[in-house]
Formats: sequence, C-alpha cells, structure tokens
Amino acid sequence: MQHGTQKVVKTAGKSRIIIVETSSDVTAENSNDVIVTGSHQGSGKHLLACSIKGAIGNDAGKGKENAGIAGLKLLDEGGIPAAAVNNMTARIGDGNSTYEQGKISAANEAARKLGITEGMSARDAADKMLEAASKRK
Amino acid sequence: MIQEVHKIVKESGGYRIIIANSATSIDEKNKNDVVVDGSHFGVNVGRYAAQAGIKGMIGNDAGKGLDSAGVAGMKLLDEKGIPGAAVSAMSARIGNGTSTYEEGEISTANEAAKKLGITAGMSAKDAADKMFEAALKQK
Repeated sequence: MQHGTQKVVKTAGKSRIIIVETSSDVTAENSNDVIVTGSHQGSGKHLLACSIKGAIGNDAGKGKENAGIAGLKLLDEGGIPAAAVNNMTARIGDGNSTYEQGKISAANEAARKLGITEGMSARDAADKMLEAASKRK
Repeated sequence: MIQEVHKIVKESGGYRIIIANSATSIDEKNKNDVVVDGSHFGVNVGRYAAQAGIKGMIGNDAGKGLDSAGVAGMKLLDEKGIPGAAVSAMSARIGNGTSTYEEGEISTANEAAKKLGITAGMSAKDAADKMFEAALKQK
C-alpha cells in the first residue's frame, strides 16, 4: 500500500533531507537520509531498522508515559540522532508542517551532541543532522 | 510499508474488532473491521481508513495539537458515514494499539460515532463495542 511520496528538500553528498507524512513510508533505501516525518516518535523500531541518518517527528503532546517520544531512546541505541517537535507547533501527520513550522521539544543524546536543543526550528535541527551525515562518510 | 499481524479481540458474523499499532497497516482486507489503533487520528490516517472502507476506527488524539490536527481525520470518515473516535493521549500510550483498547478513554468522537452513543469519557472498549454492534446491524 503506497501512502505518500518522499519529498527531497536538501542534498549533501550521498545524504538528503526527506519529508514523509508517515514514518511507515521510510524504507531501507533511506539509509543515507535524514527523515522529517509527520508521525509521532513513539516507536523508533521501524526507523532503526532502516538505519537512517536522523529523524525528526512530532511529540504528539508526549502523553502517557511520554509515549509520544519513547522512540528517541531506541534510536539513541543505534547512534541515530532523533528529535521531536512540540505538537502545538506543527500538525501531526503532516511532514511539511513538521519541517516548516515545528519547534523542537525533545532530542536524544545523539542529537544533543550535534547541538540540537529545545526551541530550535526543525529545519535547523535537520540541517545539523544532514551536516553530520555528510561528514560521516 | 509496515506489515503487522493484527490482534483480533472480537469476531461475529464476519465482522471483527482488531487491534493495530499503526493505522498504516490497514487496507481493503479490513473493510469488515472496527480498527482500534495506536496512531494519531490526523488527516492522513482518516484518508487511509476511508480508502480501506472500514466499519469504524478508534485512535489516539495525540494531544490534539496545532489546528487539532491529532483528530482532524475523523471528519473525513464522517463524509462516508464511518464512526471514528480518539482517546486522550494521557489515557493511552500512542503507538500502542493494545493500550488504546485496554486503557484509552474517549476524548473526541465524530458525528457518526456520536449517533451510536459514543461520548467523551467512555472507555475505548465500550466505544469499539458500539461500533461493532452497529456494523452487525448494518448487514
């Protein structure tokens, strides 16, 4: 089942910043990409399996047991920088909104090492992940 | 795409209540199902559910958020007469369909769901039962 397209907003070497409406649109072919998604950051399992270079999603209001950002920890275990935007700054389910309007509310350790902090725009955070990805080669 | 084995919690007369972690795992094969899932209920989710032509959906309101995007998809279902509702993000863990079903409390329901007596504060389980009964009566 095909839901959406992957929109490329920036390229650096082999790596790209890609916008998707749902993280389930990401595949193993995105292993060089930084993903900006409309999805919550609750699981991380699928993104980890795709070995991407970074991910920014929606914090879904964080919610019960901070489930909306629980995936950030799992991505940390894979050394993948990941962050989430405050759900009051971007429309969940809309990856363009995450990218254009989102302000970071949570970041994992790998993302913090790149200088990604709360309050930063998703765009700037994605740039930092892309820069790190292009340097890794 | 994510493949998922759905948990069936109720089955009668060809209709089922199923649990999915992600709404992206449902398709036309679920057209006789009431789907309880862990996803938010944004516009894209409403689109997947409408395309699959399911009998009802209960998701997570994701704290509603900007422009109430977390529950914006249930309007699309109303256009097709499909009942849709969401549980409060503080009552269930987003991304976990079992949590929606076992722990979720309804915060928002569309018109089709309200017609079935689904209201804010109701348990997701009871709301799913109402959708399921309505599906059986439609036969």
